[in-house]
Amino acid sequence: MSADLRFNAMYFLPYVHLPKNHKQFKSTWVDFPNSFYDPEKGHKLYKRYLKELLLADKLGFDAIVVNEHHNTVYSMMATPNIIAAALVPQLRNAKICVWGVPPNFMLPNRLAEEYAILDVMSKGRLEVAFPLGTGMEYWSNPVNPATAREKFKESLKIILQAWKEDGPTTHYGKYYTYRFLNPWPRPYQKPHPPCYIVGTGSPETIEIAAELGFGYSSVFVPQERTYELNEQLRQRAAHFGHTMRPDQLPLLTYVYVAETQEQAEKEYVIHLQRFFEDYARSTQQWLAPPGYISLEQLKVRAAGADKLHGGFDFNNVSKSFFIAVGTPEKVANQLGEWAIKAGTNHLNNVMHVADMPHSKTVKNLTLFAEEVMPRLRSKGVAQ
Amino acid sequence: MTRFVREEYTVDGVKTVLHAAGSGEPVVVLHGAGTADGFDFAEQWADRFRVIVPHHPGFGFSGDDPTFTDMHDYVMHYLGLFEILGIDTVRLVGISLGGWMAAQFASEHNNRVKKLALIAPAGMYDPNHMPMDIISTPGEVVVGSLVSNFDVLQSKLPAKPDIHFIADRYREATTVARLWWEHPFDPKFMRHLKRVTMPTMILWGDEDKLTPVGLTPMWQRHIPHADIRVFKGAGHLVHLEKPEAVAAIGAFLV
Repeated sequence: MSADLRFNAMYFLPYVHLPKNHKQFKSTWVDFPNSFYDPEKGHKLYKRYLKELLLADKLGFDAIVVNEHHNTVYSMMATPNIIAAALVPQLRNAKICVWGVPPNFMLPNRLAEEYAILDVMSKGRLEVAFPLGTGMEYWSNPVNPATAREKFKESLKIILQAWKEDGPTTHYGKYYTYRFLNPWPRPYQKPHPPCYIVGTGSPETIEIAAELGFGYSSVFVPQERTYELNEQLRQRAAHFGHTMRPDQLPLLTYVYVAETQEQAEKEYVIHLQRFFEDYARSTQQWLAPPGYISLEQLKVRAAGADKLHGGFDFNNVSKSFFIAVGTPEKVANQLGEWAIKAGTNHLNNVMHVADMPHSKTVKNLTLFAEEVMPRLRSKGVAQ
Repeated sequence: MTRFVREEYTVDGVKTVLHAAGSGEPVVVLHGAGTADGFDFAEQWADRFRVIVPHHPGFGFSGDDPTFTDMHDYVMHYLGLFEILGIDTVRLVGISLGGWMAAQFASEHNNRVKKLALIAPAGMYDPNHMPMDIISTPGEVVVGSLVSNFDVLQSKLPAKPDIHFIADRYREATTVARLWWEHPFDPKFMRHLKRVTMPTMILWGDEDKLTPVGLTPMWQRHIPHADIRVFKGAGHLVHLEKPEAVAAIGAFLV
């Protein structure tokens, strides 16, 4: 039996009006001065992005994906639940995926509540993911990176308890005490919305997803490593008595479709370059605050150097990551091949990067929905 | 001169490495937020004392204990080490972060500390003289700010830091983050300094870029009997830059 492929439209909502001298700043995160932010321009961008996301819904994308970042031009979604709440009443068919709010930056009961509100408002069309949060977010929030993983696990436990057990219940932990864990409302979906862990493939996050039976949304993981990672996830989930379904392993892709290969590259590559060089530009110090990663991971990362945050070569980047640029036929073939290799039927497609203008974004969304999706719909991996 | 010899103990399950030299009454030196700068300077006190330089948990050659989240955890650790070493009363020397640690130990156990010497101690809050935030300041900037004359530090550091050196520093920074990420100051620490009743000397470089010399009046206010010595032309690591500072501590400890 084959299952349909699923197509998400993922968005970061970047602030695109970088100052002329922005290259003088080593990073566009954490300490990049917010005096460069112009709310008039921000207002126009929110209106534009919301319009594009609603278009994605109309065109037939299966889900809209939003997430959280702080102190950066990379994303204007410091609180993605607000963006999700603005979208929910207007979406016709698409699910809304908040992938997600790092639980460490919220009180766990409050996150359980906000997600429950969105789930009830959308009549059960919410999916959530739990990221630890990038290193940059820890410089921007008053949360200790050295205890982040421990606190993260406790938060997850509280959120799941709030959703799965009838309240009031209690929780006496290291970071939180709840005398009355009894959040209203409770999720529409029972026992709770589909959950994913977001990660870059560290052993710690793999174990959490496997143990809880969650999906795993990998980000910034190179191609070969993704295939290995998905295999590890299937094995570790089985070890804990869970089956990791193909739809639980969304594949993060960067997609641009145009009439010809040449035109697609001409229209897209400059924005992808700016995405990596300018919008994702960070420093080793911001990426790895003290205690955020283990010494083993620190050594692994140092050995691999950082291919993402600054420094761009389209050919190298295209070979490393899942970047499909070209005609509908080429993009469809490419995505289909990757989905089979990754053992997934769930494509999480970044449809807009950096300062890609509205016209190109609409074209990309439209061609993808009308020319790529139909070619692939029936090619899902057997469940 | 008597040279340091490495010894290893287990304190409440944590591997604790120390360097010790000499004989006589114990002088314990509590180091700062890093161990790369070395402690040979303290060997010269070994002609009169048993000089002991332990590495704190999470630093240098000692093991990790991720449960250490405030200075009191280190005070408890040293109570445990002193018990193992049979140390009843002690002369404490504390440098920077170790200065806070030594002063806190002295305020909590003032009957066990005979003399207290603090070198550019951390822990004092004065909004007009804020210390450098060593957590967010890039490592190379912190290192470059430690001394006035970088020559005294250069020979102790690798010319080109390799991944092992970087990982060692990341580990020590992690230990510091557990301690200071949320709370780089503790108002209760300052309140309890009135219990520091033993003879106290505080040494400072007037060019200190980490803990500015402007913090000394606040220390004087909290420990009125402290003998505060300011050394001209010295940075944070006064003891590396000014042999007379090391000699002054040696004379004070007698």
